[in-house]
Amino acid sequence: MNKLLFLALSAACGTTWAQTPATNPMPDGSRDMYVGLGVQSAPRWDGTGSRKVSALPVLQVQWSNGLFISGMSAGMHLTDSPTFEYGPLVAVQPGRDRTGTGLEFDGVGSAGTTLIGPVPEPIDKRNLRGTGLDGMNKIGARLQGGVFANYYLTPQWRLTSSVLYGAGNDHDGARLDLGVQRLAFELGSQHRVSVSAGVSIVNRNYNQTYFGVSLEEAARSRFSSYEAGGGLQEAHVGVRWNWAVSPSWMLTSNLQAKGLLGNAAKSPLVERSTNMTVSTAFAYRF
Amino acid sequence: MRASRQLIAAFASLLAVVSTGAQAQAQAGEWVSYRDAYRAMVQFEKYGGPKNLLQSQLQVQSRDHAGLGEGAQLTLTGKATQLNLTLDALGRTVFPLQKAAYDENAALVLNRKGMPFVLRPQVTIAPRADGQYDAADLRTACAQALGFVRYVDASQRARQCAGVRFVFPKKEQAGARLRHADGGEQGLPVTSGAAFSGDPDEGFPVVTWRFATGPDKGQVITYNAPLAIVPIFE
Repeated sequence: MNKLLFLALSAACGTTWAQTPATNPMPDGSRDMYVGLGVQSAPRWDGTGSRKVSALPVLQVQWSNGLFISGMSAGMHLTDSPTFEYGPLVAVQPGRDRTGTGLEFDGVGSAGTTLIGPVPEPIDKRNLRGTGLDGMNKIGARLQGGVFANYYLTPQWRLTSSVLYGAGNDHDGARLDLGVQRLAFELGSQHRVSVSAGVSIVNRNYNQTYFGVSLEEAARSRFSSYEAGGGLQEAHVGVRWNWAVSPSWMLTSNLQAKGLLGNAAKSPLVERSTNMTVSTAFAYRF
Repeated sequence: MRASRQLIAAFASLLAVVSTGAQAQAQAGEWVSYRDAYRAMVQFEKYGGPKNLLQSQLQVQSRDHAGLGEGAQLTLTGKATQLNLTLDALGRTVFPLQKAAYDENAALVLNRKGMPFVLRPQVTIAPRADGQYDAADLRTACAQALGFVRYVDASQRARQCAGVRFVFPKKEQAGARLRHADGGEQGLPVTSGAAFSGDPDEGFPVVTWRFATGPDKGQVITYNAPLAIVPIFE
């Protein structure tokens, strides 16, 4: 039953890798829905030491026909097998502007950071620009499409994978996520903890969009130009704690640590390769 | 930063309110979400393999392994749903698959205040009214149960059927005998044990019949109706 009590409540901003909830068989015509709100502390963009606290919407809906929405992802379970899940997946990749990734709740007073790389005329640039991503091109939010496939080694251990395409300025960024999850340790009668770990592999177009710096951008920003190739982009581990306060109310909290790897880690946009995201939210189960 | 502080303060206030509500809920009794139990129990219904010799029930186990005691009862309760589910001596009940209870997000509440509990799906071999079980049928039933277990848990694929365990009520004369194909009969030894692995009560009269040592043909005849016939996988 542990596996079946797992919930992958996802943030509507912050977590960038797609999550798929476990298959949820239910009566025909029914649905299982969580809606909530909380707070999140996350880096302003991947690789920065500057953090922001923002409101965190929570949404997870599963329908009896297999359709689901989980945070920024949506898809469909094409099988009701307890050991193998697969189906189409779409996910929204948050955009990025000069203040950082996704929605900006607290947009002023970002902390200063050290200049990185051989920036010409650093003093002038420092006077001209404060911090953040000033001078970098804005990246719009992107709808990605792909597939997911998960395999249960046991009812508690799940191998996860997904491939998504369509991120980046030219909609040609591709991303492969591979992971493993231990679903729902029971801690007390209404407390459940699940842990996960994984890696992400991206193509060159993806990395260049989010970690590259064009000559044009280098000329007007504090960053030196950088060509980011594809490959292993990040490794992450996470812990999720779900506290079912009542049949209808749940407190869901999440801690994610992410380490940038390869070309992404070498990017001048990256001030620190390891970052932490913490969130907690109340969700109501309809 | 001021906005961030206000946001955190608002969330902390909400946390305090919900915590108070949680304490009130705990005083009302321990509960498990009907939807979560439904997800586990409906798997047997959806299983497309052979299962005509099996039955599926929901078992309640106290989390502290203290046992449920006499008169334990599970209640399915929601806005428009109120259904008492009587538990047998092994803490089992037939799980009602109800769309109405699912849609109103009902809860399963145990009439034991302060006793945390867990729910487990238990698939066993259906008892026969005449108490006579062909050896071949028991093997087939065990194979059906193993097929279902492998369906829900890929790690069980290496296991094999080893036998069956007849579990009898404590207060009745328990036992079974083996009738050979030639008409001869022999009593089967009765031991004391738990019905299911992990059960806290190990005092049930149990008759274990192993396929490896038993004849291919013959019948197991029970003196009294067993509480459960549990397939054994090794």
